[in-house]
Amino acid sequence: MPSYLKQFLRSPQGRSLTEQLVGNLLALLIVIAVTAVLITASFWLPIQHVMILYLIPVIVAALRWGSLAALLAGVLGLAASAFFFYEPIYDFRVHSPAHLVDMLMFITVAAITGWIAVTVRQAKMRAQAESLRDALIGSVSHELRTPLSAIVGSTSVLAQSTTVERDEHLSSLVRVVRNEAERLNGNIQNLLDATRISSDGIQPHWEWVDPEDIVSAALARKRPMLAGREVALAVADDLPLAYVDPSLIESALGQLIENAAKYSPANTPITVSALSSNDAIYIEVGDKGAGLAAGEASKIFERFYRSPRVAGVAGSGLGLWIARSLTQACGGRIKAFSAGEGHGTTVSIALPVRQQPASEEGDE
Amino acid sequence: MNDTPPVVLVIDDEPQIRRFLRAGFDLEHFTVLEEETGEAGLRTATLRALDLIVLDLNLPDMDGAIVLERIRGWSKVPIIVLSVRASDDDKVRLLEAGADDYVVKPFSMPELLARARTALRRQARGTHGEPVIKVGPLSIDLAARAVLVDGVRVALSPKEYRLLQVLAQHAGNVVTHNILLREVWGARHMQNAHYLRILVRKLRRKIEQNPKEPRVLVSELGVGYRLASGSESD
Repeated sequence: MPSYLKQFLRSPQGRSLTEQLVGNLLALLIVIAVTAVLITASFWLPIQHVMILYLIPVIVAALRWGSLAALLAGVLGLAASAFFFYEPIYDFRVHSPAHLVDMLMFITVAAITGWIAVTVRQAKMRAQAESLRDALIGSVSHELRTPLSAIVGSTSVLAQSTTVERDEHLSSLVRVVRNEAERLNGNIQNLLDATRISSDGIQPHWEWVDPEDIVSAALARKRPMLAGREVALAVADDLPLAYVDPSLIESALGQLIENAAKYSPANTPITVSALSSNDAIYIEVGDKGAGLAAGEASKIFERFYRSPRVAGVAGSGLGLWIARSLTQACGGRIKAFSAGEGHGTTVSIALPVRQQPASEEGDE
Repeated sequence: MNDTPPVVLVIDDEPQIRRFLRAGFDLEHFTVLEEETGEAGLRTATLRALDLIVLDLNLPDMDGAIVLERIRGWSKVPIIVLSVRASDDDKVRLLEAGADDYVVKPFSMPELLARARTALRRQARGTHGEPVIKVGPLSIDLAARAVLVDGVRVALSPKEYRLLQVLAQHAGNVVTHNILLREVWGARHMQNAHYLRILVRKLRRKIEQNPKEPRVLVSELGVGYRLASGSESD
């Protein structure tokens, strides 16, 4: 065998070519087997409409080896029935109109079932590839976390040492390592969340929670990232309790706060507010940044969408998509508003107000 | 604390993690012991007098949760759990199995040290008896059942006081929702988590300077509540 052919057979395309050849060969064998069975049976039974049985090789080939093998099985089936079973026998011609109708029916049914089987096969292969990818991302994220913990922990000890504290250059470098490691950790968390959302879906852990707690927890967690930014907090009195998974909504809100900080000038304030109407609790984050262009209000929630106007800011295009998925998992909605480019953005999480649980009596 | 340096046992199989924990605890004048496996950790915990255990959940030979349970079988030594598995359910299970607190990897040394000092202080309080607990502007006199904010006495309902009392007994560490519900309302009301939400909101109106941004009665979402430790709120 020439070396280039060997090389080709070892390459990914080559491998699929070999697989296809084997598939076609097996399809041929099944057709032969069906024909042999039919011929044997025809010694005892008055077999008339054999065509239907040739659907078996077509469907098997479509499920196992794809469309080409299915087509081959179909053509061979037609040829075999014309040659062996339909008058005149041992001749490819077919005289009886009934047999011609048989063959037309066969072609129609084989085409439809073959197509369905091929679609099923492709979906199965795609699902396999996806679950493999998700498992890979999951284990990679976990493997990244452990060294990251050593980096974050070690730099935090370095930052405390008096030698480093005294030296301005050293302490700023330690800060850089620390901040970048934290950012990497945030990205890994996003990757994990995205995997969780797309692989097995999210199973919310429902409980009654005070929206105030969600707001203050998200703010507390994002505080280091806000680095002294002015945050205007407006939480309405007597908000109803929300029935959600608090951790999911807190993550979603955290994404919004992080985005507001990232995409607006450092000297402008960020507003975080919580209010309620009769049927919804709204948690909103507003900034005085670049705003949204026409049509962007829904686009920004798409996976991997990034506005061309923020190309200078590092990001993956996952944050808002994650926020939307987490919110929706808790029965909420998420929306973005903007008075136009240059007029800032407000993103709002709306959580449904459910029938409040019975309160307890007497404790004064 | 007293003159002898506190002894901390670190049980973690990752050498890099142990290295920075040793350095961090050294800087704070702790005596550090290290073990790599659950078995070895358990052995050292029985043989040495310890003031604190820092326990990683992901050990090569056994689940850290089992190590925790075994140690709790005979000892009340403060245990802080390190984990990369950060699900709320896991945290609740660990706290209710007797962990004093948890820290999620990656974490910074000051964060761990704050939790460690809180746990040590609580241990010392348990042995010496210290009836007054101060958190920022709030002081709780457990003996006189009096609660003061900026020196002014605040009137609390019996349940509000009971909630604050349970949190004060664990000042600085998380107390799970289940434990709070059981301690304040009794085992029959474990399902009524919303009672706790409403009571916390009322209590914050009385003891927080800005109830919308609580600094004293802090929520750990999905897990429980924490009364900020004295050093954190100063």
